[in-house]
Amino acid sequence: MTDQLEVTSGDEPFAMTGNTRVPTPRYYDPSFAVLENERLWSRTWQMACRLEEIPSPGDYVEYTICDQSLIVVRVDRDTIRAYHNACRHRGTELAKGSGSFRGGQIACPFHGWRWNLDGTNSFVYGVEGFAPEPPADLCLPQAQVDTWGACVWVNLDPAAPPLLETLDPMPSLLDPLGIDQMRVVWWKAVTLEANWKLAMEAFIEGYHIMASHPQLTQGEGEEYDPNALAYSVHQNGHSSYVSRPGAQRHHRRQVDYLDEVESLIESSRLLCDGLEAMTLPRDLHVIETLRRRPVGENTSLGSELVGAIYEHAKNAGIPLPRLAPDALARWGGVFFVFPHYFVLPQYGNALTYRFRPVHGEPERCLLELWSITIPGSGEDHGRPAMQGPFAPDDREHWPAIPLQDFSNITRQQRGVHNQTVPATRISHTYEVGIANLHQEVDRYLAQPLSRPT
Amino acid sequence: MPTVRVEPDGFLIDVDPGETLIEAAWRLGYVWPTTCYGQAECTRCHVEVIAGAEHLSPVGDDEATTLHLLWGRRPNLRLACRVKLDGDVVVRKRGVRGPG
Repeated sequence: MTDQLEVTSGDEPFAMTGNTRVPTPRYYDPSFAVLENERLWSRTWQMACRLEEIPSPGDYVEYTICDQSLIVVRVDRDTIRAYHNACRHRGTELAKGSGSFRGGQIACPFHGWRWNLDGTNSFVYGVEGFAPEPPADLCLPQAQVDTWGACVWVNLDPAAPPLLETLDPMPSLLDPLGIDQMRVVWWKAVTLEANWKLAMEAFIEGYHIMASHPQLTQGEGEEYDPNALAYSVHQNGHSSYVSRPGAQRHHRRQVDYLDEVESLIESSRLLCDGLEAMTLPRDLHVIETLRRRPVGENTSLGSELVGAIYEHAKNAGIPLPRLAPDALARWGGVFFVFPHYFVLPQYGNALTYRFRPVHGEPERCLLELWSITIPGSGEDHGRPAMQGPFAPDDREHWPAIPLQDFSNITRQQRGVHNQTVPATRISHTYEVGIANLHQEVDRYLAQPLSRPT
Repeated sequence: MPTVRVEPDGFLIDVDPGETLIEAAWRLGYVWPTTCYGQAECTRCHVEVIAGAEHLSPVGDDEATTLHLLWGRRPNLRLACRVKLDGDVVVRKRGVRGPG
């Protein structure tokens, strides 16, 4: 199905013409945003909610994208539907936010029309006052819906290829890490004064770490090797990066090893205290035990760390999947799932992001962050609730790393308006995922809609 | 398990912990008046509490807003779609139909 999205004309405005330049109007031009709304968001699979938001029949979450709204409803234990959120009478939105439809009924607040959870119409008040309609015409129209990675995904296009085909190859990279067993630790949101693509780009490359997050390189500065991270682009617009194999130093002398341990403890504490994501308190505790864990002659800090993490998981009843070395190498990596979702796995945890444009405002977007983890035995994380949105400079709610990222993003959005910057320069090595994102966007924009708009 | 006695028909409804009165009634096959189906919007499921008010859950924000709409604003009115209980209660509600 990807073949149907080949670029057909190249006539689209501000199109990508190579992989080292991104025309800057793509980040602010209103007509470009309208085209994205009509041709991209109307037919890509999007992360609509986490499964634990709708645990029981009747539970729902509203998912909005651009000017469209869907209600994602758990119909029964095995069935989830996504209904267009508009009454079949005069279009009133049936539900807002999240909650539960009780008594198996979705009721319109305006004139009391009702639907069963399966979308069939159950009641029209004063039905004798309306011209007879075929019952099928009164059913709630559905969008495509499927699940992956403990999330519900939706697609407004009834002709779109299946979710797993579109996500390929990301599930093959992330499923082994136990993503679908993870549950929410916290969920926060921020509204950024930036285009959604520009904001995402800051997370698609790790090239900015040296200058933007000096605390992460522990003073290495420009000595920090930009090639320590290996970047990959995948089909369907996805991309990822992980630590380059072999970048890890094997210890030779005990004193070096203990230095490395202290360094790992310090960087882990930064993540744990600062973000409470990827490295959770339970992991920090495990990492601190490395100080007194006896080590063999030919071992590495990495293998000792993995051993300690698994030992703790076993004792705590955390069903951490056994990983082959190539899968273990994805811990600490960044996985971008086109068009708007990220997974940053680490140990039995992950940080995930979802970006959405703010409708009608090409230079604003909503970013949500979820810290998730594989719960230990007996832990129940319950139904999660979003905190925020908090301001991007809110030091009470955001630790240093996201504050640094948010600050860059806002400054870059203003900078791309500069008359001397008709296009941004993209590294063919470190920022290849950014070009890949834009090229996939263009494949959607080049494809006229097959149905009337 | 707490029981609600619904006057004037004398229906006896056992309410599970954490369950609202209207959900218990639905579970047992009763038809209970409502238009919004549990969204605390329509006022139609409201009951008059006759006895056992001390066993009722506190009034939340959405219930308070909707109760405010009811004419008379009698203090012993509650919404069956919000109220939970930890002991036996007697309420008055017309229009409830029994199972079958």
